[in-house]
Amino acid sequence: MMSTTSLSVSAVPYADALTRLRTAAAQASPAEALSREELLAAYHPDHNEDARVALRVGGNRGMLCHPTLACLLEGNALVGDVDLVALDPVVTDVLVIGGGGAGAAATLAARRGGADVVLAAKLRVGDSNTVMAEGGIQAAIGEEDSLQRHFDDTLKGGHGAGEPELIARLVRDAPEVIRWLIGLGVSFDLAEGPLAGGRLLRKRGGGTTAARILSHRDFTGLEMMRVLREAVELDRGVTVLNRAPAIELLSDERGRCVGAVLYDLELRRLRLVCAGAVVLATGGAGRLHLSGFATSNHYGATADGLALAYRMGAQLRDIDSFQYHPTGIAWPGHLAGGLISEAVRSFGATLVNGQGARFIDELSPRDVVTSAILRECAEGRGVVRDGLIGVFLDTPTLLANRPALLREQLVSLGHLAHRAGIDPTREPMLIYPTLHYQNGGVVIDTDGASTVPGLYCAGEVTGGVHGRNRLMGNALLDIIVFGRRAGAAAARHAAAAEPGRFGLGHVQSWQRELTCAGLIEGPRSPILYPAYGHFDLRRHMAASQD
Amino acid sequence: MSDRIRLSVDGRMLEVATPVSILQAASADGTPLTANVGCLGQGVCGACRCMVRKQDEADVTTVLACETLAEDGMQVSFIDYFIPDRPHVYDVAEITDVWRLSNAVSGIFPEAAQCRHCGGCDRACPKELDVQRGVALAVAGDLAGAAGIFDQCVMCNLCTLACPERIWPNHLGLMVRRALTALTLRPSDLIHRLNELERGGDVLDLSGTASTGTAAVVSDGR
Repeated sequence: MMSTTSLSVSAVPYADALTRLRTAAAQASPAEALSREELLAAYHPDHNEDARVALRVGGNRGMLCHPTLACLLEGNALVGDVDLVALDPVVTDVLVIGGGGAGAAATLAARRGGADVVLAAKLRVGDSNTVMAEGGIQAAIGEEDSLQRHFDDTLKGGHGAGEPELIARLVRDAPEVIRWLIGLGVSFDLAEGPLAGGRLLRKRGGGTTAARILSHRDFTGLEMMRVLREAVELDRGVTVLNRAPAIELLSDERGRCVGAVLYDLELRRLRLVCAGAVVLATGGAGRLHLSGFATSNHYGATADGLALAYRMGAQLRDIDSFQYHPTGIAWPGHLAGGLISEAVRSFGATLVNGQGARFIDELSPRDVVTSAILRECAEGRGVVRDGLIGVFLDTPTLLANRPALLREQLVSLGHLAHRAGIDPTREPMLIYPTLHYQNGGVVIDTDGASTVPGLYCAGEVTGGVHGRNRLMGNALLDIIVFGRRAGAAAARHAAAAEPGRFGLGHVQSWQRELTCAGLIEGPRSPILYPAYGHFDLRRHMAASQD
Repeated sequence: MSDRIRLSVDGRMLEVATPVSILQAASADGTPLTANVGCLGQGVCGACRCMVRKQDEADVTTVLACETLAEDGMQVSFIDYFIPDRPHVYDVAEITDVWRLSNAVSGIFPEAAQCRHCGGCDRACPKELDVQRGVALAVAGDLAGAAGIFDQCVMCNLCTLACPERIWPNHLGLMVRRALTALTLRPSDLIHRLNELERGGDVLDLSGTASTGTAAVVSDGR
């Protein structure tokens, strides 16, 4: 699989750097010579010249996009009319595509709205980035905190690029979302101390002005996903189709979205689902390994939904903006890209370069911290171990002061360190930024409605909530807030929809456009799996089962 | 760093450079990887369950392939995911009486009392949880104790596959955890904020500068 950056600049050998770390005196975080904007412009991967091209076809022609993603968005469809002949569709009220947190929340909300639901997952329901989320979920419930501060932090963290109406919805719904999750049985940690009695434990995330992150230890996403999946699987009104990726949407004669073409990996054949409305909750794009970065993402994060929605005419935004999480593990190589939660820095762990010096306020917004790490490595102050470069996350100092953290709050850190063969109380982790989140995506309104009638979207596949940089804890909130709203709106839409004829009219228009642009012979999309998944739809369909 | 090893995965002999996880090794020969894969190393999704026999060992163990290093001479067999009919159906919203929660547990999971203490679940658990003890605590009514044992469960379902009494231990553990939380977690700060919002305290200034430097007051809230 992908490894982290190869070494082309000088860096400090691991053993020397470790000695400097251990002998360095405690330091304050240094004053930053560059403004945040200058730091981002100089070192953030989004700002690299090779990271932007203009889209050549579709509704957002001319919009800047990462070139790897542009290949998929400009891709031809995997299927045409001939493939659909003689297929009997399954008919349902709402089709949810994607089995992560947003898809599950949409499913439960659509059920509450009275709809029957088919949930189609590429892998299994629950296999998603949600289950891997560690840090927590934001909700402004502290006495000193307010919805306004949550709103302002989110808008500012996204460099002012977020959609105010969406952010307002996000922060207003947050307390109710926590109550809803508790009602389903999702547990959140309570604060320590006898006087705290019954208050939730709150952590501070980078770029926030208040401790606002609620969590279940450092595996909040797992706690949420296992409960959501159970609720979905136990609901008799939900048909879960596992191992059934969507490979194309279905449209009617008026251009509305009325279902999808799925590929049944077990039977190696196509299936049609016709629906009154569709919720697209396919997540992000980390497994595209943009600009050669390792990723913290799930195996399924291959931007399928973006390609499908764009081909059908949905507007996109901020598709040149990605989040590189500051603390991916850099060594050992076979774990490269694996996530070390921001919670470790929330609790006070510092970042230290090869010279034993801190170089950034560790709780700055993620894109700022990432840029600072990339600068240290580019300017020869990185640490190199077995040919892999990074900087130190100083866990020994943190854990010497608070030894109980590892057992009680940083369980996942301990687990990762154990697999890396590192004792985090004695040895720092070598870290390097890892591709973590797709900031942009499908344009939605506060009901998750895209610009295509009948097509609703929720979660990482959408854009506008996080602007051009997401804050810790706002992703888990986003998927539940907009998952529920999209599911409820889809159920309402389905109840009012008159059945039309389903087909691939939008694919035919798309192919005409590709032909005019000279792109008809280009690659096909969605790709469904990363390159090392060795998957080719036609070959897979043709191969006999073992 | 680049020793080469040979191992067998689902009957295919593979040669790979170490160190790699079993999961990374499994697709090394170009076999399409479309199942039994998920979080790729974090060990939280439970998708990559497999049986492993190490060289010169008789025992077969169950592990998660993403977090287990491939070794020379290993025999690996992935365990396909099947979703049988769920025998234990409940709606957590319909469990409303915390005084009778034990009754709800035994009503939904009647097989739990039949545990024959074979230890199959404990051996199957890749997270080394005390699954059998968790089941016993739930049956005995120590629900908080049971909930604690299942706290780090990733729902890989290996204990469910291993159980000859069809107890579905991980689902029992999750049901206990869900019901306890839904019935007892009532954080005072969350309640306070929800009450505030009900009284209309959700007016926002969308300019993005309302709270700069100071704690903002949201409408009439307090």
